[in-house]
Amino acid sequence: MTDTETHDHAAYQAPPRLASGITGLDEILLGGFVTNGIYVIQGTPGAGKTILGNQLCYNHVANGGRALYVTLLSEQHERMLANLQTMRFFNPSCIARELNYVSAFQLLERDGLAGLVTLIRREIVGQGASMLVIDGILAAEAQASSALEFKKFVHELQMLAGAGDCTMFLLTSARDQTVAPEHTMVDGMIEICDAAYGWRSERDIHIRKFRGSDTLRGRHALRISADGITIFPRIEALLHTPPRRRYASPQPRVSSGVAGLDAMLGGGLPAASSTLVLGPTGAGKTSLGLQFLGGCTADEPGLMLAFYETPEQILARAATIASGLPPLAQSGIVEILWQSSSEDLIDRVAGDLLARISAQRAKRLLIDGLLGFADMTVQPERIPLFYRALANELRGRGVTVMCTVEVPELVGPVVQPPISHLTPVAENLILLRYVEQDATLRRVLSVMKVRDSAFDHRLREFDITAEGIVLGDGFAGAQSVLSGFAQETAASDSGSG
Amino acid sequence: MATILVVDDEFGIGELLEAVLLDDGHRVITAMNGRHALERMAEAKPDLVISDLMMPVMDGGGLRQAMLNNPEWAEIPFMLMCAVPEAGIRERISQYDAYLRKPFKLAEISQLVARLLQSRAA
Repeated sequence: MTDTETHDHAAYQAPPRLASGITGLDEILLGGFVTNGIYVIQGTPGAGKTILGNQLCYNHVANGGRALYVTLLSEQHERMLANLQTMRFFNPSCIARELNYVSAFQLLERDGLAGLVTLIRREIVGQGASMLVIDGILAAEAQASSALEFKKFVHELQMLAGAGDCTMFLLTSARDQTVAPEHTMVDGMIEICDAAYGWRSERDIHIRKFRGSDTLRGRHALRISADGITIFPRIEALLHTPPRRRYASPQPRVSSGVAGLDAMLGGGLPAASSTLVLGPTGAGKTSLGLQFLGGCTADEPGLMLAFYETPEQILARAATIASGLPPLAQSGIVEILWQSSSEDLIDRVAGDLLARISAQRAKRLLIDGLLGFADMTVQPERIPLFYRALANELRGRGVTVMCTVEVPELVGPVVQPPISHLTPVAENLILLRYVEQDATLRRVLSVMKVRDSAFDHRLREFDITAEGIVLGDGFAGAQSVLSGFAQETAASDSGSG
Repeated sequence: MATILVVDDEFGIGELLEAVLLDDGHRVITAMNGRHALERMAEAKPDLVISDLMMPVMDGGGLRQAMLNNPEWAEIPFMLMCAVPEAGIRERISQYDAYLRKPFKLAEISQLVARLLQSRAA
């Protein structure tokens, strides 16, 4: 590159970004809006457009900016402000000072789009507004005599955004038209949606167009609460590039908490790997997980995410089978998070989990009841990719993960993971089963997979004792154990004869 | 009150400049290219010309040269506008009184215009 070219490139710097201050939004925009850009925010009635527009203004003012909120045939200002009072971002002291509300419908009717542009320009200059929201842009479109006139209006706003140092948001209702005239002209198009899924409703946000930067594409969950709008980036999109880490050879091992199982695994679970423990209810999955967490130390803290049992229930159970765990929980070396698997957002829960892992510096994670994620979401088909993204991220952070997964079959020849495409994601698979032999129900453990490592393929009977899981012998002299109904082998019969 | 000729082929720029300059109390005439601007100047001599560089028919460089070749117009202050950095256009045109890079700022316009008109009056 020549000096001239270097100079020319330096003269065309990427435009600065304007943080929205809305949790999650700047993450999916990869840094916020482009300063002095013009954006359409489109959504169904009740999706949250007006809250979003107002929250952008209040956050902007809180960061030292000045904002102008222009309404065109939307709700009255008094009513809108009354509704906003429940939101934490609402700050009445900035109204009519740094934040001004202007009703422009009558002026629009009287003076048309030209009058509206003049009003906006004068207000921006007069008030020094660096953010503008126009609520109800459909009214302006209805006032235009042609599509071309409306396009000219949007173009003039665009000029004004750049010349007036003002980032603009045009709020509009969703329409049947897939491409509205203004969509082709503006710097970004954001769609928010409130959709019904059976008995449930979920809101989401979708960045349909964004000039000047990449974004986290696709839909992301949006929630409205007293905090205003919060966005939870879709985990598969957010974690698409997990952190890379060096792998030592041989890979260090982490104890599973069961000495016999460590021997079967070739020395323990590979560090920073993920393990699925599959089995029917009561087979011992949580017990194994608690023993795994019982190996945490101050240098290797741990975290448990439980979907079906409260921390009190878990600690009571641990007291009998993993007695080392309660003191670890008491000292904070192990933290137990409880999450109901009823309606919630998997991206919120996973985001909180990752934040807790960072805060706790956790090196061991137990997710007890991985299907809790599937139970809480309206998109269970996301779970395999969701889990893959989460597992990759945790591997990159050096966290050794164990997840329990309940399978529906208590006894029988078939074990069907409740979600397909889940098991290939995990590096290690451990199967716990019930087997009937001699009119007795026995527990059996088998290691199905340890990625890139040799392991003991034998089936091992086990008991859950006061000391936790204790592995017994293999099923010598028996066959068809995994059918659920062990039978004595013919060799064993003839060998004795 | 000054008479200002705004020359730009791009929709929106001329309209915005016109609106700002009218608000500042000036009289504004507009043209879409250099040739058109010369016709407008023959009708009413402006106190200041604000012109884009890249335009069809006759660009800003051609307009400036035509003004310099005419003793009646040579002394009129000339403000050049362009979207490229100033260093990138000096080979094409050098004799101008102020440079305005697009996208410009509203406050910048009023200040620059006031300065140029003041220097002309002086």
